[in-house]
Amino acid sequence: MNDNTEGAFDITSALDTWMKSYNDLWGNMANQWETILGQSPAEKKGHVNISTMQSGMAALLKNWQSITTAMSTPESADALFKGSSAFPEVLLKLAQTSVGSFAEMQQNIFQRLGRIGDSVKAYEFQDIDENIFRMWTDIYEKEFRQFLQVPQLGLLRGYQEKICQTIDKFNLFQANLSEFLRMLGLPFNHSLQVMQEKMSKMAEEGKLSEDIQAHYRMWIKVLEGHFMTLFQTPEYVEVLARTINSLADFSAAKDAVFEDMLMAFPVAKKTEVDEMGRELYELKKRLRRLEQQSDR
Amino acid sequence: MTQSKIPVDLILSKLVEESEKVQSRAKKGSEVLLGELDTELAKTPYDVVYQEDRVKLKHYRPRTETRYHTPLLVVYALINRETMLDLQPGRSVVERFLDAGIDLYMIDWGYPTRKDRFFGLDDHINGYMDNVIDFIRGQHEIDKINLMGICMGGTFSVIYSALHPEKIKNLVTTVTPTNFDTKKGLLHVWMEHIDVDRVVDTFGNLPADVMNFGFLLLNPARLMIDKYVGFMENLDNQQFVENFVRMDKWIFDSPDLPGEVFREFVKYCYQGNMLLNNKLEIGGRQVDLKKLTMPLLNIYGKYDHLVPPEACETLINHVGSGDKKNICLDTGHIGIYVSSKYQEAFAPEIANWLKERDKIPKKKAPRKKSAAPRKATGVNADTSKKKPIANKSKPVAKPRPAKSKAPSEPTKP
Repeated sequence: MNDNTEGAFDITSALDTWMKSYNDLWGNMANQWETILGQSPAEKKGHVNISTMQSGMAALLKNWQSITTAMSTPESADALFKGSSAFPEVLLKLAQTSVGSFAEMQQNIFQRLGRIGDSVKAYEFQDIDENIFRMWTDIYEKEFRQFLQVPQLGLLRGYQEKICQTIDKFNLFQANLSEFLRMLGLPFNHSLQVMQEKMSKMAEEGKLSEDIQAHYRMWIKVLEGHFMTLFQTPEYVEVLARTINSLADFSAAKDAVFEDMLMAFPVAKKTEVDEMGRELYELKKRLRRLEQQSDR
Repeated sequence: MTQSKIPVDLILSKLVEESEKVQSRAKKGSEVLLGELDTELAKTPYDVVYQEDRVKLKHYRPRTETRYHTPLLVVYALINRETMLDLQPGRSVVERFLDAGIDLYMIDWGYPTRKDRFFGLDDHINGYMDNVIDFIRGQHEIDKINLMGICMGGTFSVIYSALHPEKIKNLVTTVTPTNFDTKKGLLHVWMEHIDVDRVVDTFGNLPADVMNFGFLLLNPARLMIDKYVGFMENLDNQQFVENFVRMDKWIFDSPDLPGEVFREFVKYCYQGNMLLNNKLEIGGRQVDLKKLTMPLLNIYGKYDHLVPPEACETLINHVGSGDKKNICLDTGHIGIYVSSKYQEAFAPEIANWLKERDKIPKKKAPRKKSAAPRKATGVNADTSKKKPIANKSKPVAKPRPAKSKAPSEPTKP
């Protein structure tokens, strides 16, 4: 077993502190609950008028307090870690993933920062692929997505799977949309930098116009040029297609969840309406064919 | 190198001047916006003479004596509305055609709903269009009519004319994409990479807002920024505001696009370029452009960012017609129809071209049953002023009275 004592000790002590505060929270909540009920714990014992919900809630709070109290003692936590070899490994893996991903992002940010100040070439987007959102999507797909794909069990398995899938598709759509929006922002950055360079050149040559409108018109023209160039790049087309596809996937997953929810109501589902629409369409076509045949 | 002086003082004084102007403009602008504005579209009176499902056929009331033997049917695209041809009195292609003495019909495709998602190209071309054309032929008791298609409606018209050449006398195509194998237009570049099956299977019909957002993305600097900066700059000009609002109303008055039409149009045309290669099959029949033998007038815009000249100009090389002509105008996609200047170059050109080919049509054999309207409609009929079209048809829309407002100047296309 790969038991890292030093690491386990640190995690245990951190967990211990957290558990203590957690325990206090549950204790306070239990006390508050009792205050709300207007009864002391002693009075509550054997009281027949307390509703089932209230007593259930009180029991739940007490249970949580007991569990967190037990877990907050160093012995219990140590025993818990020693008894289960998987838990620290999962924690460690999660920590490694997060730290690793964060480091990768940070490295990329530094690389990007390092490029600031480079001369801006008009109508070029050659460094378009070096973006943080694509990287985040990669990390999400490689590291976090798997947690949403854990097999679900039991009676509600199907519903849970659909919900997990919706969350997954939403995350992917968000990531792609962010990347797409970032890309749409590029021409603004480029055009402003180009304008700065142009204006300083014009100022040096004494050609700087005092008409603000002239500067605006110049900027719009440059911006339009940058957009036109960006829109032709394969990177933009790829991100656009990916965003549309992920939106479609998210919509389909969301519809599946809504359809499950709609089953509880006496209304027609989207798929049922579509099926009916198709049947109606085919019947109309058939009717028209028959009409035409009878006309001949 | 000598350092030139930057005229900071001048720039600052200009800024002050500008801010004063903005203040006064905002004051006047609020009066304009709160006052009475005429922003109604499509005022030229018409009657709906045929209706099938959501599709209507408009017949415009003549403004002068009809001087053409053959009526003209205009087929607009499924994207946006045909009201673009009749933005306002004095700036209307419809008015110009009527003033030339053309007997004018126009298809209104309506607003598709979820149940229309399965209607494909065959249903629109061999279904609705064919029924409408049969109806007009029946009403006028003629074999052939004149057909004019706009944008996607032009592509429909080309396909129809190749499949049913016996029913079309002259064909006019305007800003009509037929060659999809070009990288000049952004739509052509983007559509190649769209997973259209995934989109249609998920959304059903293509939502109008998604489509409009896509169109805005074709030129965000102009369509999302400069356009509204221009609006703010002219806020105190009532005529400008009216024209702007009218145009904006039309731009964002978009019906959803039936899912199957979108799927087939993208797959067959944008991704397969099947039309020009005679590989397209509609309703089980091959669309052979060599069978398109009637006179063809093909008009397009030199600066069209949606349907570039490369997508339009090659059509005449592929059709079987001996009488064919390309006209390229120095304007964009909708400038042809909405700018008064280009209407001058566009509508009379079509009217003259049709006049030269307007021979007395042969009388048609007795009308088939199928030419009767699918849905006999009779709502809001104001038949007192108009010439009745036929016994079987009933007008459904209340004719719109024209207001006597002075014509406005065009907005920026």
